[in-house]
Amino acid sequence: MLTKRQNLMETIRGGNPDRFVNQYEYLDIILEAPLRTRPQRGETITNEWGITLSWPEDQMGPFPIHDDAHRVIKDITRWKEVIKCPSVEFSDAQWAPAIAHANSVDREDKFVTVFFASGTFEMTHFLMGMEDALMGLYEEPELMHDLIDYLVDYELRYAEQIIKRLKPDALFHHDDWGSQIASFMSPDMFKEFFLEPYKKTYKFWKDNGVELIVHHSDSYAANLVPHMIEMGIDIWQGVMTTNNTPELIKKYGGQISFMGEIDSGPLDHPDWDAKTIAQHVEKACTTCGKHYFIPCLTQGLHFSSFPGVYDAATEAINKMSKKLF
Amino acid sequence: MSKIEEVKANVETGKTKLVPGLVQEALDEGCSAMDILAAMVDGMGVVGDKFSCGAIFVPEMLIAAKAMSKGVEVLKPHLAEGASSSLGTCIIGTVQGDLHDIGKNLVAMMVESAGFDIVDLGVDVSAEKFITAVKENKAVKLVACSGLLSTTMPAMKQTVAALKTCGLTGFKVMVGGAPVTQEFATEIGADAYAPDAGSAAVTAKALVTAA
Repeated sequence: MLTKRQNLMETIRGGNPDRFVNQYEYLDIILEAPLRTRPQRGETITNEWGITLSWPEDQMGPFPIHDDAHRVIKDITRWKEVIKCPSVEFSDAQWAPAIAHANSVDREDKFVTVFFASGTFEMTHFLMGMEDALMGLYEEPELMHDLIDYLVDYELRYAEQIIKRLKPDALFHHDDWGSQIASFMSPDMFKEFFLEPYKKTYKFWKDNGVELIVHHSDSYAANLVPHMIEMGIDIWQGVMTTNNTPELIKKYGGQISFMGEIDSGPLDHPDWDAKTIAQHVEKACTTCGKHYFIPCLTQGLHFSSFPGVYDAATEAINKMSKKLF
Repeated sequence: MSKIEEVKANVETGKTKLVPGLVQEALDEGCSAMDILAAMVDGMGVVGDKFSCGAIFVPEMLIAAKAMSKGVEVLKPHLAEGASSSLGTCIIGTVQGDLHDIGKNLVAMMVESAGFDIVDLGVDVSAEKFITAVKENKAVKLVACSGLLSTTMPAMKQTVAALKTCGLTGFKVMVGGAPVTQEFATEIGADAYAPDAGSAAVTAKALVTAA
Protein backbone atom coordinates (compact mmCIF):
# COMPACT_ATOMS: atom_id res chain seq x y z
CA MET A 1 0.00 0.00 0.00
CA LEU A 2 1.28 3.44 -0.91
CA THR A 3 2.00 5.88 1.88
CA LYS A 4 -0.38 8.83 2.18
CA ARG A 5 2.22 11.09 0.60
CA GLN A 6 2.94 8.69 -2.24
CA ASN A 7 -0.76 8.18 -2.88
CA LEU A 8 -1.30 11.92 -3.02
CA MET A 9 1.49 12.35 -5.56
CA GLU A 10 0.12 9.54 -7.73
CA THR A 11 -3.30 11.19 -7.59
CA ILE A 12 -2.16 14.67 -8.58
CA ARG A 13 0.27 13.44 -11.23
CA GLY A 14 -2.31 11.21 -12.91
CA GLY A 15 -0.37 8.08 -11.98
CA ASN A 16 -1.56 5.00 -10.11
CA PRO A 17 -3.14 5.83 -6.79
CA ASP A 18 -4.32 2.80 -4.87
CA ARG A 19 -7.17 4.55 -3.08
CA PHE A 20 -8.82 7.96 -2.82
CA VAL A 21 -6.74 10.48 -0.92
CA ASN A 22 -8.89 10.89 2.18
CA GLN A 23 -9.42 14.59 2.88
CA TYR A 24 -6.44 16.13 4.69
CA GLU A 25 -4.73 12.83 5.61
CA TYR A 26 -1.60 13.65 3.63
CA LEU A 27 -1.00 16.97 5.38
CA ASP A 28 0.32 17.14 8.95
CA ILE A 29 -0.55 20.76 9.70
CA ILE A 30 1.59 22.38 12.35
CA LEU A 31 -1.02 24.53 14.05
CA GLU A 32 1.29 25.21 16.99
CA ALA A 33 3.36 27.60 14.87
CA PRO A 34 3.15 31.15 16.25
CA LEU A 35 1.42 33.62 13.93
CA ARG A 36 -1.32 35.86 15.31
CA THR A 37 -3.68 36.09 18.23
CA ARG A 38 -7.08 34.58 17.54
CA PRO A 39 -10.15 34.79 19.78
CA GLN A 40 -11.51 31.76 21.55
CA ARG A 41 -15.26 31.12 21.53
CA GLY A 42 -16.95 33.85 23.53
CA GLU A 43 -14.04 36.28 23.19
CA THR A 44 -13.43 39.54 21.40
CA ILE A 45 -9.80 40.46 20.81
CA THR A 46 -7.75 42.95 18.86
CA ASN A 47 -4.91 41.22 17.07
CA GLU A 48 -1.43 42.37 16.19
CA TRP A 49 -2.67 44.14 13.04
CA GLY A 50 -5.24 46.07 15.06
CA ILE A 51 -8.10 44.02 13.63
CA THR A 52 -10.87 43.41 16.16
CA LEU A 53 -12.26 39.89 15.94
CA SER A 54 -15.30 38.68 17.80
CA TRP A 55 -16.41 35.08 18.35
CA PRO A 56 -19.84 35.10 20.00
CA GLU A 57 -20.74 31.94 21.95
CA ASP A 58 -23.44 30.84 19.54
CA GLN A 59 -21.44 31.38 16.33
CA MET A 60 -19.30 28.91 14.41
CA GLY A 61 -16.23 31.12 14.14
CA PRO A 62 -14.82 34.63 14.67
CA PHE A 63 -15.70 37.65 12.52
CA PRO A 64 -13.88 40.94 12.08
CA ILE A 65 -15.75 43.98 13.34
CA HIS A 66 -15.89 46.79 10.78
CA ASP A 67 -17.90 49.58 12.32
CA ASP A 68 -16.25 53.02 12.32
CA ALA A 69 -14.88 52.51 15.81
CA HIS A 70 -13.04 49.31 14.88
CA ARG A 71 -12.17 49.35 11.19
CA VAL A 72 -8.38 49.67 10.90
CA ILE A 73 -8.19 51.44 7.54
CA LYS A 74 -11.03 53.95 7.21
CA ASP A 75 -9.30 55.96 4.47
CA ILE A 76 -7.05 54.09 2.05
CA THR A 77 -5.19 57.32 1.24
CA ARG A 78 -3.87 57.26 4.80
CA TRP A 79 -3.18 53.54 5.16
CA LYS A 80 0.51 54.03 5.86
CA GLU A 81 -0.32 56.20 8.85
CA VAL A 82 -2.47 53.55 10.51
CA ILE A 83 -0.88 50.23 9.62
CA LYS A 84 1.93 48.82 11.68
CA CYS A 85 3.10 45.44 10.53
CA PRO A 86 3.38 42.86 13.34
CA SER A 87 6.78 41.40 14.14
CA VAL A 88 7.62 38.04 12.59
CA GLU A 89 10.20 37.35 15.30
CA PHE A 90 9.16 34.79 17.88
CA SER A 91 11.20 33.33 20.68
CA ASP A 92 12.63 29.83 20.80
CA ALA A 93 10.05 29.01 23.45
CA GLN A 94 7.23 30.15 21.16
CA TRP A 95 8.53 27.99 18.36
CA ALA A 96 9.26 24.92 20.50
CA PRO A 97 5.85 23.17 20.30
CA ALA A 98 5.73 23.60 16.52
CA ILE A 99 9.28 22.31 16.08
CA ALA A 100 8.52 19.29 18.28
CA HIS A 101 5.43 18.51 16.20
CA ALA A 102 7.27 18.90 12.90
CA ASN A 103 10.10 16.69 14.12
CA SER A 104 7.64 13.96 15.05
CA VAL A 105 6.21 13.68 11.54
CA ASP A 106 7.21 10.79 9.29
CA ARG A 107 7.92 12.76 6.12
CA GLU A 108 7.72 9.56 4.04
CA ASP A 109 4.08 9.34 5.06
CA LYS A 110 2.92 12.95 5.25
CA PHE A 111 3.85 16.50 4.31
CA VAL A 112 4.94 18.73 7.19
CA THR A 113 2.58 21.59 6.50
CA VAL A 114 2.53 25.25 7.42
CA PHE A 115 -0.87 26.92 7.75
CA PHE A 116 -0.95 30.59 6.71
CA ALA A 117 -4.04 32.75 7.18
CA SER A 118 -5.33 35.23 6.31
CA GLY A 119 -4.13 35.49 2.74
CA THR A 120 -3.52 38.72 0.87
CA PHE A 121 -7.01 39.45 -0.43
CA GLU A 122 -8.61 38.53 2.89
CA MET A 123 -6.23 40.83 4.72
CA THR A 124 -7.34 43.78 2.60
CA HIS A 125 -10.96 43.33 3.62
CA PHE A 126 -10.13 42.37 7.22
CA LEU A 127 -8.34 45.72 7.46
CA MET A 128 -10.78 47.82 5.44
CA GLY A 129 -14.15 46.08 5.41
CA MET A 130 -15.27 44.23 2.30
CA GLU A 131 -17.01 47.15 0.58
CA ASP A 132 -14.10 49.57 0.98
CA ALA A 133 -11.57 46.92 -0.02
CA LEU A 134 -13.40 46.14 -3.25
CA MET A 135 -14.21 49.74 -4.11
CA GLY A 136 -10.61 50.69 -3.38
CA LEU A 137 -9.54 48.54 -6.33
CA TYR A 138 -11.44 50.97 -8.57
CA GLU A 139 -11.01 54.23 -6.71
CA GLU A 140 -7.40 54.05 -5.50
CA PRO A 141 -5.69 51.27 -7.47
CA GLU A 142 -2.13 52.50 -6.85
CA LEU A 143 -2.65 52.63 -3.12
CA MET A 144 -4.27 49.19 -3.13
CA HIS A 145 -1.25 47.84 -5.04
CA ASP A 146 0.98 49.40 -2.36
CA LEU A 147 -1.04 47.84 0.45
CA ILE A 148 -1.01 44.45 -1.26
CA ASP A 149 2.78 44.65 -1.72
CA TYR A 150 3.13 45.50 1.96
CA LEU A 151 1.06 42.47 2.95
CA VAL A 152 3.11 40.21 0.66
CA ASP A 153 6.30 41.52 2.17
CA TYR A 154 5.01 40.62 5.64
CA GLU A 155 4.13 37.11 4.51
CA LEU A 156 7.54 36.55 2.94
CA ARG A 157 9.34 37.70 6.07
CA TYR A 158 7.16 35.34 8.12
CA ALA A 159 7.79 32.57 5.59
CA GLU A 160 11.53 33.02 6.01
CA GLN A 161 11.22 32.43 9.74
CA ILE A 162 8.96 29.41 9.61
CA ILE A 163 10.95 27.79 6.82
CA LYS A 164 14.12 28.17 8.87
CA ARG A 165 12.46 26.62 11.93
CA LEU A 166 10.24 23.88 10.49
CA LYS A 167 11.48 23.14 6.97
CA PRO A 168 7.95 22.53 5.72
CA ASP A 169 7.13 20.36 2.73
CA ALA A 170 3.73 21.90 2.09
CA LEU A 171 1.81 25.12 2.57
CA PHE A 172 -1.92 25.33 3.35
CA HIS A 173 -2.84 28.91 2.51
CA HIS A 174 -6.22 30.44 3.37
CA ASP A 175 -7.80 33.13 1.20
CA ASP A 176 -11.46 33.00 0.17
CA TRP A 177 -11.85 34.39 -3.32
CA GLY A 178 -15.58 34.12 -3.75
CA SER A 179 -19.04 33.39 -2.48
CA GLN A 180 -20.69 30.06 -3.15
CA ILE A 181 -21.91 31.17 -6.56
CA ALA A 182 -19.45 33.76 -7.86
CA SER A 183 -15.94 35.07 -7.48
CA PHE A 184 -15.74 38.35 -5.56
CA MET A 185 -14.14 40.11 -8.50
CA SER A 186 -13.72 39.52 -12.21
CA PRO A 187 -10.79 37.39 -13.41
CA ASP A 188 -9.32 40.51 -15.05
CA MET A 189 -9.44 42.49 -11.81
CA PHE A 190 -8.02 39.52 -9.91
CA LYS A 191 -5.19 39.33 -12.46
CA GLU A 192 -4.49 43.04 -12.18
CA PHE A 193 -4.18 43.10 -8.41
CA PHE A 194 -3.49 39.64 -7.03
CA LEU A 195 -1.87 37.40 -9.65
CA GLU A 196 1.66 38.81 -9.57
CA PRO A 197 1.72 39.20 -5.76
CA TYR A 198 0.59 35.61 -5.36
CA LYS A 199 3.09 34.39 -7.96
CA LYS A 200 5.84 36.09 -5.96
CA THR A 201 4.54 34.65 -2.71
CA TYR A 202 4.13 31.07 -3.87
CA LYS A 203 7.45 31.13 -5.75
CA PHE A 204 9.18 32.14 -2.54
CA TRP A 205 7.68 29.26 -0.61
CA LYS A 206 8.57 26.80 -3.39
CA ASP A 207 12.08 28.17 -3.86
CA ASN A 208 12.62 27.49 -0.16
CA GLY A 209 11.68 23.87 0.10
CA VAL A 210 7.90 23.74 -0.07
CA GLU A 211 6.91 21.07 -2.54
CA LEU A 212 3.16 21.48 -2.45
CA ILE A 213 0.95 24.59 -2.39
CA VAL A 214 -2.60 23.86 -1.24
CA HIS A 215 -4.81 26.94 -1.50
CA HIS A 216 -8.06 27.13 0.44
CA SER A 217 -11.06 28.94 -0.96
CA ASP A 218 -14.37 27.33 -0.09
CA SER A 219 -16.25 29.09 -2.81
CA TYR A 220 -17.00 29.32 -6.45
CA ALA A 221 -13.75 30.21 -8.21
CA ALA A 222 -13.83 28.19 -11.43
CA ASN A 223 -13.18 31.39 -13.40
CA LEU A 224 -9.92 31.92 -11.48
CA VAL A 225 -8.43 28.47 -12.13
CA PRO A 226 -6.14 29.66 -14.96
CA HIS A 227 -4.71 32.25 -12.55
CA MET A 228 -4.39 29.62 -9.82
CA ILE A 229 -2.33 27.50 -12.19
CA GLU A 230 -0.16 30.44 -13.21
CA MET A 231 0.58 31.40 -9.60
CA GLY A 232 1.72 27.89 -8.74
CA ILE A 233 -1.16 26.36 -6.79
CA ASP A 234 -0.95 22.58 -6.88
CA ILE A 235 -4.24 21.83 -5.15
CA TRP A 236 -7.32 24.04 -4.77
CA GLN A 237 -8.98 22.98 -1.53
CA GLY A 238 -12.58 24.00 -0.86
CA VAL A 239 -13.84 23.55 -4.40
CA MET A 240 -17.61 23.53 -4.01
CA THR A 241 -20.11 21.68 -6.14
CA THR A 242 -21.15 25.01 -7.71
CA ASN A 243 -17.91 24.92 -9.72
CA ASN A 244 -18.83 21.89 -11.87
CA THR A 245 -15.74 20.14 -10.59
CA PRO A 246 -15.87 17.19 -13.03
CA GLU A 247 -15.57 19.67 -15.89
CA LEU A 248 -12.68 21.46 -14.17
CA ILE A 249 -10.89 18.15 -13.72
CA LYS A 250 -11.38 17.32 -17.40
CA LYS A 251 -10.12 20.71 -18.49
CA TYR A 252 -7.30 21.38 -16.03
CA GLY A 253 -6.36 18.03 -14.53
CA GLY A 254 -2.62 17.61 -14.75
CA GLN A 255 -2.04 21.33 -14.22
CA ILE A 256 -3.88 21.58 -10.90
CA SER A 257 -5.88 19.23 -8.67
CA PHE A 258 -9.15 19.78 -6.87
CA MET A 259 -9.89 18.97 -3.23
CA GLY A 260 -13.47 19.28 -2.05
CA GLU A 261 -16.77 18.59 -3.78
CA ILE A 262 -18.35 17.60 -0.45
CA ASP A 263 -20.02 20.89 0.50
CA SER A 264 -19.81 21.46 4.26
CA GLY A 265 -22.91 23.69 4.40
CA PRO A 266 -25.59 21.03 3.87
CA LEU A 267 -23.74 18.40 5.94
CA ASP A 268 -21.96 20.06 8.85
CA HIS A 269 -24.76 21.00 11.26
CA PRO A 270 -26.10 19.79 14.60
CA ASP A 271 -28.56 17.32 13.05
CA TRP A 272 -26.06 15.68 10.68
CA ASP A 273 -26.44 12.08 9.66
CA ALA A 274 -23.96 9.62 8.26
CA LYS A 275 -26.29 8.39 5.50
CA THR A 276 -26.59 11.82 3.89
CA ILE A 277 -22.86 12.36 4.18
CA ALA A 278 -22.26 9.01 2.50
CA GLN A 279 -24.58 9.98 -0.36
CA HIS A 280 -22.68 13.21 -0.97
CA VAL A 281 -19.36 11.40 -0.78
CA GLU A 282 -20.50 8.76 -3.25
CA LYS A 283 -21.65 11.37 -5.72
CA ALA A 284 -18.37 13.27 -5.40
CA CYS A 285 -16.21 10.20 -5.87
CA THR A 286 -18.17 8.70 -8.75
CA THR A 287 -18.44 11.95 -10.71
CA CYS A 288 -14.93 13.26 -10.16
CA GLY A 289 -12.89 10.11 -10.53
CA LYS A 290 -9.52 8.95 -9.28
CA HIS A 291 -7.13 11.50 -10.72
CA TYR A 292 -6.57 15.17 -9.91
CA PHE A 293 -9.30 14.92 -7.28
CA ILE A 294 -9.28 14.58 -3.49
CA PRO A 295 -12.68 14.10 -1.89
CA CYS A 296 -12.96 16.44 1.09
CA LEU A 297 -15.36 18.54 3.08
CA THR A 298 -15.01 22.05 1.73
CA GLN A 299 -14.37 23.68 5.12
CA GLY A 300 -10.78 24.68 5.78
CA LEU A 301 -8.65 22.49 8.06
CA HIS A 302 -8.96 18.88 9.11
CA PHE A 303 -12.03 19.04 11.29
CA SER A 304 -15.69 19.90 11.11
CA SER A 305 -17.68 22.52 12.97
CA PHE A 306 -19.88 19.82 14.53
CA PRO A 307 -18.23 16.74 16.08
CA GLY A 308 -18.43 13.57 14.07
CA VAL A 309 -19.06 15.03 10.62
CA TYR A 310 -15.40 14.96 9.51
CA ASP A 311 -14.97 11.38 10.72
CA ALA A 312 -18.20 10.29 9.02
CA ALA A 313 -16.90 11.73 5.74
CA THR A 314 -13.58 9.95 6.25
CA GLU A 315 -15.36 6.65 6.77
CA ALA A 316 -17.55 7.16 3.69
CA ILE A 317 -14.48 7.93 1.55
CA ASN A 318 -12.78 4.77 2.79
CA LYS A 319 -15.83 2.78 1.68
CA MET A 320 -15.74 4.42 -1.74
CA SER A 321 -12.05 3.50 -2.06
CA LYS A 322 -12.90 -0.16 -1.38
CA LYS A 323 -15.73 0.04 -3.91
CA LEU A 324 -13.97 1.83 -6.74
CA PHE A 325 -10.30 0.81 -6.52
CA MET B 1 -27.36 60.47 -26.48
CA SER B 2 -29.57 62.69 -24.37
CA LYS B 3 -28.28 64.03 -21.09
CA ILE B 4 -30.59 61.71 -19.16
CA GLU B 5 -29.29 58.72 -21.11
CA GLU B 6 -25.78 59.92 -20.35
CA VAL B 7 -26.60 59.99 -16.63
CA LYS B 8 -27.96 56.44 -16.83
CA ALA B 9 -24.94 55.16 -18.77
CA ASN B 10 -22.50 56.70 -16.31
CA VAL B 11 -24.34 55.26 -13.31
CA GLU B 12 -24.16 51.84 -14.97
CA THR B 13 -20.42 52.13 -15.42
CA GLY B 14 -19.82 53.56 -11.95
CA LYS B 15 -18.44 56.96 -12.96
CA THR B 16 -18.71 58.44 -9.47
CA LYS B 17 -16.84 61.62 -10.39
CA LEU B 18 -18.85 62.32 -13.54
CA VAL B 19 -22.40 61.53 -12.42
CA PRO B 20 -22.93 64.53 -10.09
CA GLY B 21 -21.93 66.96 -12.84
CA LEU B 22 -24.06 65.19 -15.42
CA VAL B 23 -27.06 65.26 -13.09
CA GLN B 24 -26.59 69.01 -12.63
CA GLU B 25 -26.34 69.46 -16.39
CA ALA B 26 -29.54 67.49 -16.87
CA LEU B 27 -31.31 69.70 -14.34
CA ASP B 28 -29.93 72.81 -16.02
CA GLU B 29 -31.31 71.56 -19.33
CA GLY B 30 -34.75 71.37 -17.77
CA CYS B 31 -35.04 67.68 -17.12
CA SER B 32 -37.21 66.92 -14.12
CA ALA B 33 -35.60 65.56 -11.01
CA MET B 34 -38.02 62.63 -11.03
CA ASP B 35 -37.10 61.72 -14.61
CA ILE B 36 -33.39 61.86 -13.77
CA LEU B 37 -33.97 59.71 -10.70
CA ALA B 38 -35.95 57.20 -12.76
CA ALA B 39 -33.07 56.99 -15.24
CA MET B 40 -30.61 56.27 -12.44
CA VAL B 41 -32.93 53.63 -11.02
CA ASP B 42 -33.13 52.06 -14.48
CA GLY B 43 -29.34 52.15 -14.67
CA MET B 44 -29.08 50.25 -11.41
CA GLY B 45 -31.62 47.81 -12.76
CA VAL B 46 -29.25 47.09 -15.64
CA VAL B 47 -26.43 46.69 -13.11
CA GLY B 48 -28.51 44.23 -11.13
CA ASP B 49 -29.33 42.17 -14.22
CA LYS B 50 -25.68 42.06 -15.24
CA PHE B 51 -24.68 40.96 -11.73
CA SER B 52 -27.31 38.23 -11.72
CA CYS B 53 -26.02 36.77 -14.98
CA GLY B 54 -22.36 37.02 -13.94
CA ALA B 55 -21.37 39.72 -16.41
CA ILE B 56 -20.19 42.00 -13.61
CA PHE B 57 -19.05 41.42 -10.05
CA VAL B 58 -19.28 42.98 -6.59
CA PRO B 59 -16.80 45.88 -7.18
CA GLU B 60 -18.71 47.01 -10.28
CA MET B 61 -22.01 46.86 -8.41
CA LEU B 62 -20.61 48.82 -5.47
CA ILE B 63 -19.11 51.52 -7.62
CA ALA B 64 -22.32 51.90 -9.64
CA ALA B 65 -24.33 52.25 -6.43
CA LYS B 66 -21.89 54.89 -5.24
CA ALA B 67 -22.27 56.76 -8.52
CA MET B 68 -26.05 56.71 -8.09
CA SER B 69 -25.86 57.91 -4.52
CA LYS B 70 -23.63 60.82 -5.62
CA GLY B 71 -26.23 61.67 -8.23
CA VAL B 72 -29.06 61.48 -5.71
CA GLU B 73 -27.25 63.95 -3.46
CA VAL B 74 -27.43 66.51 -6.28
CA LEU B 75 -31.09 65.70 -6.92
CA LYS B 76 -32.37 65.83 -3.36
CA PRO B 77 -32.97 69.59 -3.10
CA HIS B 78 -34.90 69.40 -6.37
CA LEU B 79 -37.19 66.56 -5.47
CA ALA B 80 -40.58 68.08 -4.65
CA GLU B 81 -41.23 68.34 -0.98
CA GLY B 82 -43.92 65.90 0.07
CA ALA B 83 -43.82 64.08 -3.22
CA SER B 84 -42.33 60.76 -2.39
CA SER B 85 -40.63 58.66 -4.99
CA SER B 86 -40.23 55.92 -2.44
CA LEU B 87 -41.67 52.45 -3.02
CA GLY B 88 -41.91 52.07 0.74
CA THR B 89 -39.66 50.95 3.56
CA CYS B 90 -37.70 47.73 3.47
CA ILE B 91 -36.50 46.28 6.76
CA ILE B 92 -33.45 44.10 6.18
CA GLY B 93 -31.21 42.00 8.38
CA THR B 94 -29.19 38.82 8.69
CA VAL B 95 -31.08 36.36 10.87
CA GLN B 96 -30.14 35.35 14.38
CA GLY B 97 -27.05 33.19 14.68
CA ASP B 98 -25.35 34.57 11.57
CA LEU B 99 -22.83 37.40 11.38
CA HIS B 100 -22.35 37.44 7.59
CA ASP B 101 -23.25 40.81 6.15
CA ILE B 102 -21.82 41.38 2.67
CA GLY B 103 -24.70 39.65 0.90
CA LYS B 104 -27.22 41.51 3.03
CA ASN B 105 -25.40 44.79 2.38
CA LEU B 106 -25.46 44.23 -1.38
CA VAL B 107 -29.18 43.47 -1.30
CA ALA B 108 -29.83 46.58 0.81
CA MET B 109 -27.88 48.68 -1.66
CA MET B 110 -29.71 47.30 -4.70
CA VAL B 111 -33.16 47.47 -3.10
CA GLU B 112 -32.47 51.06 -2.07
CA SER B 113 -31.34 51.85 -5.60
CA ALA B 114 -34.63 50.42 -6.83
CA GLY B 115 -36.49 53.05 -4.83
CA PHE B 116 -37.03 51.74 -1.32
CA ASP B 117 -36.10 53.38 1.97
CA ILE B 118 -33.88 50.95 3.84
CA VAL B 119 -33.82 50.21 7.55
CA ASP B 120 -30.83 47.93 8.06
CA LEU B 121 -30.97 46.01 11.32
CA GLY B 122 -27.49 44.55 10.87
CA VAL B 123 -26.59 40.97 11.69
CA ASP B 124 -27.63 38.35 14.21
CA VAL B 125 -31.14 39.82 14.29
CA SER B 126 -33.81 38.11 16.39
CA ALA B 127 -37.35 37.61 15.16
CA GLU B 128 -38.50 40.05 17.84
CA LYS B 129 -36.19 42.74 16.53
CA PHE B 130 -37.58 42.32 13.00
CA ILE B 131 -41.13 42.67 14.37
CA THR B 132 -40.23 45.72 16.45
CA ALA B 133 -38.75 47.34 13.38
CA VAL B 134 -41.96 46.76 11.42
CA LYS B 135 -43.94 48.37 14.25
CA GLU B 136 -41.65 51.35 14.64
CA ASN B 137 -41.15 52.33 10.99
CA LYS B 138 -43.57 53.92 8.60
CA ALA B 139 -44.75 52.47 5.30
CA VAL B 140 -43.05 49.12 5.74
CA LYS B 141 -43.74 47.17 2.55
CA LEU B 142 -41.03 44.56 2.69
CA VAL B 143 -39.00 42.61 5.23
CA ALA B 144 -35.90 40.93 3.80
CA CYS B 145 -34.16 38.18 5.78
CA SER B 146 -30.69 37.01 4.85
CA GLY B 147 -28.70 33.99 5.99
CA LEU B 148 -25.48 32.40 4.79
CA LEU B 149 -25.18 29.48 7.17
CA SER B 150 -27.28 26.35 6.80
CA THR B 151 -27.28 26.18 10.62
CA THR B 152 -29.29 29.39 10.77
CA MET B 153 -32.05 28.23 8.46
CA PRO B 154 -34.21 27.25 11.48
CA ALA B 155 -33.86 30.83 12.69
CA MET B 156 -34.99 32.06 9.28
CA LYS B 157 -38.01 29.74 9.44
CA GLN B 158 -38.83 30.97 12.93
CA THR B 159 -38.44 34.62 11.87
CA VAL B 160 -40.75 34.26 8.90
CA ALA B 161 -43.33 32.46 11.03
CA ALA B 162 -43.15 35.16 13.67
CA LEU B 163 -43.57 37.92 11.09
CA LYS B 164 -46.57 36.15 9.56
CA THR B 165 -48.32 35.63 12.90
CA CYS B 166 -47.46 38.86 14.73
CA GLY B 167 -50.67 40.59 13.73
CA LEU B 168 -48.99 43.29 11.66
CA THR B 169 -49.92 43.57 8.00
CA GLY B 170 -49.15 45.51 4.84
CA PHE B 171 -45.75 44.01 4.09
CA LYS B 172 -44.25 41.04 2.29
CA VAL B 173 -41.38 38.83 3.40
CA MET B 174 -38.47 37.99 1.12
CA VAL B 175 -35.64 35.60 1.99
CA GLY B 176 -32.27 34.82 0.50
CA GLY B 177 -28.73 33.66 1.12
CA ALA B 178 -26.46 30.85 0.09
CA PRO B 179 -28.28 27.85 1.65
CA VAL B 180 -31.76 29.22 0.84
CA THR B 181 -33.73 27.85 -2.09
CA GLN B 182 -37.12 28.58 -3.60
CA GLU B 183 -38.34 25.32 -2.11
CA PHE B 184 -37.23 26.32 1.35
CA ALA B 185 -38.72 29.79 0.99
CA THR B 186 -42.06 28.27 -0.01
CA GLU B 187 -41.90 25.72 2.80
CA ILE B 188 -41.41 28.40 5.47
CA GLY B 189 -44.11 30.67 4.13
CA ALA B 190 -42.00 33.49 2.71
CA ASP B 191 -43.63 35.56 -0.03
CA ALA B 192 -40.53 35.54 -2.20
CA TYR B 193 -37.00 34.25 -2.64
CA ALA B 194 -34.10 35.93 -4.41
CA PRO B 195 -30.88 34.12 -5.28
CA ASP B 196 -28.72 37.27 -5.47
CA ALA B 197 -28.71 41.02 -4.94
CA GLY B 198 -29.63 41.89 -8.50
CA SER B 199 -32.73 39.73 -8.58
CA ALA B 200 -33.61 40.82 -5.03
CA ALA B 201 -34.23 44.36 -6.27
CA VAL B 202 -36.36 43.12 -9.17
CA THR B 203 -38.33 40.84 -6.85
CA ALA B 204 -38.79 43.57 -4.26
CA LYS B 205 -40.32 45.91 -6.82
CA ALA B 206 -42.56 43.18 -8.20
CA LEU B 207 -43.81 42.27 -4.72
CA VAL B 208 -44.73 45.84 -3.89
CA THR B 209 -46.37 46.69 -7.17
CA ALA B 210 -48.38 43.48 -7.15
CA ALA B 211 -49.62 44.12 -3.63
